[in-house]
Amino acid sequence: MGSSSRAKSVTLGIAAILTILATWEILAHLLRVPKYVLPPPSSIVETTLKYFSYLSANLLDTLFHALVGLSLAASFSLILSLPLAYSETLRDAINPLIAGFNAIPRAALVPLLALWFGLGGVPKVLTAFLIAFYPILVPTLTAMVTIERELWEMLTSFGATKGQVLVKVAIPRSMPYFLSSLHMGLTSALVGTVIAEMIASDRGLGYVILSSTSRLDTSLAFSCLMLLALTTFILSKTISIIEKRVVKWAYRAST
Amino acid sequence: MDPVIRLSKVTVRYRNNGRGFLTAVAGVDLSVMPEEFVSIVGKSGCGKTTLLKVIAGLIRPDEGEVFLNGHAFNGSKKKIGVMFQSPLLLPWRTILKNILLPIEILGENPEDYVERALMLIERTGLKGFENSYPWELSGGMQQRAALCRALIHKPLLLLLDEPFSSLDAITREEMWILLESVFLYEKYTTVLVTHDIREAVLLSDRVIVMSGKPGKIKAEVKIPFSRPRSLDLQYTKEFNEYVAEIKNMLGE
Ligand SMILES: Nc1ncnc2c1ncn2[C@@H]1O[C@H](COP(=O)(O)OP(=O)(O)OP(=O)(O)O)[C@@H](O)[C@H]1O
Ligand SMILES: [Mg+2]
Repeated sequence: MGSSSRAKSVTLGIAAILTILATWEILAHLLRVPKYVLPPPSSIVETTLKYFSYLSANLLDTLFHALVGLSLAASFSLILSLPLAYSETLRDAINPLIAGFNAIPRAALVPLLALWFGLGGVPKVLTAFLIAFYPILVPTLTAMVTIERELWEMLTSFGATKGQVLVKVAIPRSMPYFLSSLHMGLTSALVGTVIAEMIASDRGLGYVILSSTSRLDTSLAFSCLMLLALTTFILSKTISIIEKRVVKWAYRAST
Repeated sequence: MDPVIRLSKVTVRYRNNGRGFLTAVAGVDLSVMPEEFVSIVGKSGCGKTTLLKVIAGLIRPDEGEVFLNGHAFNGSKKKIGVMFQSPLLLPWRTILKNILLPIEILGENPEDYVERALMLIERTGLKGFENSYPWELSGGMQQRAALCRALIHKPLLLLLDEPFSSLDAITREEMWILLESVFLYEKYTTVLVTHDIREAVLLSDRVIVMSGKPGKIKAEVKIPFSRPRSLDLQYTKEFNEYVAEIKNMLGE
């Protein structure tokens, strides 16, 4: 994409968001929607500014636990994918286990985690980890085990071992998939943390959302949502930048 | 002189989606002498690639034996160079690093082969592209890099499976001449699988004609032209007689 067309798409995106916010603001006033049902953007901004330090402390708390969970999920997926890529037998043995685990709604585990580890940080990190690791593991592992047949034949014709194929081809080849899965992983980790905060914590944006809605302080809940969206957006962009640097070759078609 | 590769009564069967077996190659005897260039031609599906995979040690024959330099295959590190229809270069490696890949696999020090790699790069007309990435090169250039990679470790045996069939006619002729010129410096024992009879006649010392269902060797034609050969050979009467002869054998 050229820089002028990128500038154009950014401008269009901002224009679309502003249009929606303006419409929302106007309709909220015209239709006299009560603030506790749907606060207008101006009131959300006002609340955000008013509670800024309270919100940012809780945002940092959420973010910290989500990122620790994400890092654990990323490392765990990467480490687990190596033996799984190496051994088909192991893959066949463990796949149903992983798929079965993924079928459990992880949010339902939060009360158990709280029972085992108490309220606070640990259940948050664990929930983030448990939700984030599957969407990272699957694409990474798939990329490792779907090497072109001819490439594999070329390497084995002069005696490459499975380990060599893994190191020289499978791992580098999986890197773009791994990095792009971090986008999904990030969203999942944040969802996990927020859910855990709603169920088993007295800190973090999840907790703030829950307590503010119970007080009908809808503006504050919306502030939290807005902050979460903004944070996810910024972190996602950061991952994109890392992707373009680290696996430049994967973007060969678009340069 | 002992053959570099010797196949004795080789038969390969594939499992046919649970509907029994398909005999892809049946009772093939074939020997390739040192520095000999042998081509295998035959209709699509007659078992050429299968035969080449047997020679490469990728498929164990269901019957018969394969000897590399007089020894039975043992599955260890082998000095074989291969080139397929697609260049199969790794996009995250530079051309130089791609060419050095076999050295890494063979467990030798890539540093020791940089000089040789650069020499091959020069001989194949890729000078200046050693630090480029494969996707920055044209199809023909990528195939030349694949040739360098096949030759980097001075293979005992060079195996080519339709390496030029995805190139346009002009680039393909360039590659023929390139092979000839590279072989001026160092001779390789080569087996080429191709659909292109002109290519086979121009490059080979011997052309093996296969028939299919099951794959068997139908005939062998010796091509006695002196080397180095040039593209002009194609316009001689003898060349075209060989082409016609092989074409007739394939048509029957
Ligand atoms: N992995 C496989 N499993 C089952 N059947 C196979 C397999 N590979 C090849 N065959 C069959 O064996 C026969 C010979 O295939 P092979 O690839 O050796 O032919 P080929 O002469 O190289 O053909 P082409 O010129 O089209 O490349 C074909 O009938 C093919 O369908
Ligand atoms: Mg073939």
